[in-house]
Amino acid sequence: MSTTHHAIDSAQSPLGRHASTTSRAGKSLPFDDPRHLAAHHWLVEEAYILDHQEYETWLEMLTEDIHYFMPVKVTTALGSGYDTAPGMAHFDENKYSLSRRVARFATEHAWTEDPPSRIRHYVTNVRTFETDAANEIIVDSAVLLFRSRGDVREASLISAGREDLLRRDGDRWQLARRHIAVDESVLRTQNLAIFL
Amino acid sequence: MAEQAAVFDAVRRGMIPAHIYNDAEIFSLEKERLFGRSWLFVAHESEVPDAGDYVVRRVLEDSFIISRDNDGGVRAMFNMCLHRGMQVCRAEMGNASHFRCPYHGWSYRNDGRIVGLPFHKEAYGGEEGFSRKGQTLLPAPSLGTYNGLIFISLDPDAPPLEEFLGDFKFYLDYYTKQSSSGIELRGPQRWRVKANWKIGAENFAGDMYHTPQTHTSVVEIGLFREPKAEKRKDGNTYWAGNGGGTTYKLPDGNLEERLRYVGYPDEMIERMKETWSPDQQTVIGDNGFMISAASLFPNLSFVHNWPRVEESDDVLPFVSIRQWQPISENETEILSWFAVDKEAPEEFKALSYKAYLMCFGSTGMFEQDDVENWVSLTNTAAGSMARRLQLNSRMGMLFDGSPVVQPLSAEEFAGPGVAHAGYGEYNQRHLLNEWANCLERPVDEAASLAVGAEKPIEEVPR
Ligand code: FES
Ligand SMILES: [Fe+2]
Repeated sequence: MSTTHHAIDSAQSPLGRHASTTSRAGKSLPFDDPRHLAAHHWLVEEAYILDHQEYETWLEMLTEDIHYFMPVKVTTALGSGYDTAPGMAHFDENKYSLSRRVARFATEHAWTEDPPSRIRHYVTNVRTFETDAANEIIVDSAVLLFRSRGDVREASLISAGREDLLRRDGDRWQLARRHIAVDESVLRTQNLAIFL
Repeated sequence: MAEQAAVFDAVRRGMIPAHIYNDAEIFSLEKERLFGRSWLFVAHESEVPDAGDYVVRRVLEDSFIISRDNDGGVRAMFNMCLHRGMQVCRAEMGNASHFRCPYHGWSYRNDGRIVGLPFHKEAYGGEEGFSRKGQTLLPAPSLGTYNGLIFISLDPDAPPLEEFLGDFKFYLDYYTKQSSSGIELRGPQRWRVKANWKIGAENFAGDMYHTPQTHTSVVEIGLFREPKAEKRKDGNTYWAGNGGGTTYKLPDGNLEERLRYVGYPDEMIERMKETWSPDQQTVIGDNGFMISAASLFPNLSFVHNWPRVEESDDVLPFVSIRQWQPISENETEILSWFAVDKEAPEEFKALSYKAYLMCFGSTGMFEQDDVENWVSLTNTAAGSMARRLQLNSRMGMLFDGSPVVQPLSAEEFAGPGVAHAGYGEYNQRHLLNEWANCLERPVDEAASLAVGAEKPIEEVPR
């Protein structure tokens, strides 16, 4: 059992009951496996879409049953067995609440993003796992988000690990579950008017 | 000093020297004279429900362990080892019967008493050289609780907490006592923003005027139906004791109908009726005012809203408690908790939590736009031009000092304190006046404690 980076489970949240419970099986796939290549491609495309704040396009990349979950990290003593604040998250979203967030950015009155932040998602350390379901894979990645606002304000960084469940629907993959393990307990950015 | 006296005079006239929102000298005065003696929130008892539970919280630079000791008492202990000053507990939360200092291994029970001191006999000559008896981690100079909210003060002579809260307790109950069991608190989300701490406190205390403008977007997307300008100005702002807040005027109805209108299920309404005083019920039921945001001097705020959380017309109320923890004159750490009545049905707790996340906190759609404004304001207040500008915080007051609208009568508003309908900056003035009163008053030199410097006086057996 690991002493840090405790696994996130949708069942931790009262809002995660609808979420898929699919879990990884076996070791990560070889990097030339077509499923890994597809997953990596998907994550890179998504990063560009998020950087360009094309959030309506992003919503279409999410399944109807998505659980988008980023618990609050806390510092706990070694061996405590947990490293997130019980019952509290930054994001604990379903498709409806994500759609409201996206709709808000589309109004002309979301002041926090007017002028917009310049954001860039650096996505790396990608590995892919099979699951028991033929049409579902699990993808781990690390993301570093750089965010600059205004001309001289100090930029902010958010570092996180992500565990994604991708589900194939015909010839496209969609995100069905995302667990975001943020690496800071106290965030150093003015708000999370962004997505990771 | 003369310069500072001029600042306080201006504030008392309802004018705000703009630089107070980004001024290192003012901040050092605040640290000493305001945060050095005021009652400050640190945790809620529900965060440490069981023996050994603890959370670590700060008051500016001072770290405190807030623990539940084995006898069920709540303790607040300065998180510094009595030996050479190591931080004893470096986690943010957990459960422990003892805290062992990593440096040389002194250990303390969860009520602060020293229990272990390695090589006590060999190194110190035992009790003859260092008496362990009566040695404890330094307790917070004053500690008090109300509705399970734990406050500490660095002033050992602080007035009793309840006296400090005064009539604000009446309003505090709406947020923290919706049944005899009170609330459970979850979180906090913590994040740092480049804004002065006073701005949030003032905003939550009484700024109904910003709602229709700043929060246009959340109305447009159907999240919240109330903030339309017309509706917002029918509410009132009240000030009582050391705190004040804002309310919305609700559509016609009785107590039950109005509580249902903001989304409370009948079983919760029944418990509110059993718990709240007749006057507390009258404010909602007869007067038609529903509490929204509020601040308790100096830096604790509350919010109660009732957004739509699903594709339906139903709304769901939530309560958040938040602290504006100063880091410097231009940086604040926000600690934002979700609070819910302990006896609320699980389904309600889940949806209320969702309502909170959608509206407030690090991801909240209300909060996002608030913070952008406050960061910008703080930035602009840093320079020399801001020193030439006194901002106008006189809304609701004529040149001769008389109010634009008369205070609400006891028939119109059954709550204690003074309340005015409509827009006004009464509460921001109350808050800053109290701020000026604190900053003007020097603090007494604090007593210091020398750890084990002298042999304790023997108790003579009788
Ligand atoms: S500093 Fe704590 S034991 Fe020495
Ligand atoms: Fe606001």
